[in-house]
Amino acid sequence: MKNKKTILVIEDEKPLLEAVKMKLEKNNFDVITSRSVIRAFGSPLEEDGKGTVTKDSIIEALKHIENLERVDAIWLDHNLLGKEDGLDFVTKFKANDGKWSKIPIFVVSNTSNSDLVKTYAKLGVNHYYIKAEHKLENIIKEINLCLEPKK
Amino acid sequence: MPHNRVQSNKELLYKKELEDHQAAILDVLGDNKIDDEDIRLSRRAILNVLEDLEINNAHLEQKTIELELSEQNILHTKAISDAILESIGDGLVVVDKEGKITYVNQAFERMVGWNEEEVLGKSIIEVIPRESEKGEIVEFNERILTKVLSGEIVIADLTNPFYYIRKDGSRFPTSSIVTPIILDGEIIGVVETFRDITKEKEIDKAKTEFVSLASHQLRTPLSTINWYTEMLLAGDVGKLNSDQEKYLDEVYRGNQRMVGLVNALLSVSRMDLGTFVLEPEPTDVTALVRGVVNEQKPQIDQKKISLFPLFGTNIPLIQTDPKLLRMVIQNLLSNAIKYTPNKGKIELSLNLVNKKKTLLFKITDTGYGIPKNQQSKIFTKLFRADNVREKDTEGTGLGLYMVKSIIDNSKGKVWFESVEDKGTTFNVELPVNF
Repeated sequence: MKNKKTILVIEDEKPLLEAVKMKLEKNNFDVITSRSVIRAFGSPLEEDGKGTVTKDSIIEALKHIENLERVDAIWLDHNLLGKEDGLDFVTKFKANDGKWSKIPIFVVSNTSNSDLVKTYAKLGVNHYYIKAEHKLENIIKEINLCLEPKK
Repeated sequence: MPHNRVQSNKELLYKKELEDHQAAILDVLGDNKIDDEDIRLSRRAILNVLEDLEINNAHLEQKTIELELSEQNILHTKAISDAILESIGDGLVVVDKEGKITYVNQAFERMVGWNEEEVLGKSIIEVIPRESEKGEIVEFNERILTKVLSGEIVIADLTNPFYYIRKDGSRFPTSSIVTPIILDGEIIGVVETFRDITKEKEIDKAKTEFVSLASHQLRTPLSTINWYTEMLLAGDVGKLNSDQEKYLDEVYRGNQRMVGLVNALLSVSRMDLGTFVLEPEPTDVTALVRGVVNEQKPQIDQKKISLFPLFGTNIPLIQTDPKLLRMVIQNLLSNAIKYTPNKGKIELSLNLVNKKKTLLFKITDTGYGIPKNQQSKIFTKLFRADNVREKDTEGTGLGLYMVKSIIDNSKGKVWFESVEDKGTTFNVELPVNF
């Protein structure tokens, strides 16, 4: 299909990442995945030198840089591998000259304290879901709704 | 022993007196010319009287000894009582009806840093100010002392602690029991025992933090189960047969229950840690209650319960935390449904009372009720009444605890009336101007 949307999913739990990817693909999305902020931005090495640089991770990283240009939406977990979390991602993401500022971000996390929700809102992220309380289907429905061209 | 010497001295004195009297009487008798027989009889009679007197005297002396002994016993017992009071490990303070200190023990002196001489006769409120966790001084009219002087017994423990301020200005978390002192049916003062619960509080905090952390960690695998079950049930990886679907549905629902339980535990641990901050905003409570009712309509219909909602008119927006109030209404309604048998009745109402200064939410069911002897425990964390534990396995014992915490924190009031096997009414009052 021509109007296939691309979504970047950043989630550190492998089984969850898998599930989200499968469900999104079922719903006609192109899915790019990452398990840490650093990787989402293309550097396979973490700041403290931790993490392993493998051929795969470099390829994965390069792919992200290239693809980030045409991402339609971002599915973001708060707690991620490495030192940085979802907030760091949003900060970096939004800092990019407003180039990506129109791409909607959906935070799907199990952390539910209201301070965090507010901090995301301050950064302009208004979609916040608690994983354990929402069906994948419903979150995807809302993403689709958000991506629909405004009439 | 000294009292023996006293006794023998007294005996001697008394004997001498008797002999003097005897002699005097015989003198008088001797002067008169009366015949010998008369004299003999009179003598005998007198001697008898004297003998009786002597017996009486011996009794009296016996009594004196007994009295002296019991006086000694009393003094001894008092000394022991004093020593006991003095040595009680908990702080002990006694005040009179005016709240002036009349007695303190050593533990009191040690714990608050004031000496007995410094505090006797002074007002307890000035000597050891009592403040809340947040550092707000408890006002005199709210003070426990005042309540106790009107006959109540007041217990403050780990679930409801306060702080006492020491002489040096530092403070410590305290649990205390305050009891009226009643003499001949009249309250003559108040006695309070208290202890430093710093350790207990630390342990409680560690426990709560653990619950919070564990609950959070638990959510991740629960999400995995949720989402994979969801995909299986949706037929994403192939169509299921009806048994498979049924079994998976059980897995899904079991998991949802677990999610609910973990959420409840998280909320409770946040309340206990004090990290549950109220975020009041103008709230349409009528809409909120209607929303909750609609949400739970399926469960109401399933049990064929008739619902009678009654909403007062002109209820203004109320400054309250809508998320937390929602939790309160959800809990009260789901309890009413859960603990009312099929075809029962639930009435709920929302009205302004108290010259429109207070919003009253009332929910009455025709359910199993709360046994009289367990009513005092119904708001306790994890407590479930015996009668419903036998009938329903799904409660956590956290719902009403949360309701109470939320309402207390919102400066509201929650109370109930209940008769076993007849039904229960829960009342929640919230101030219109928070």
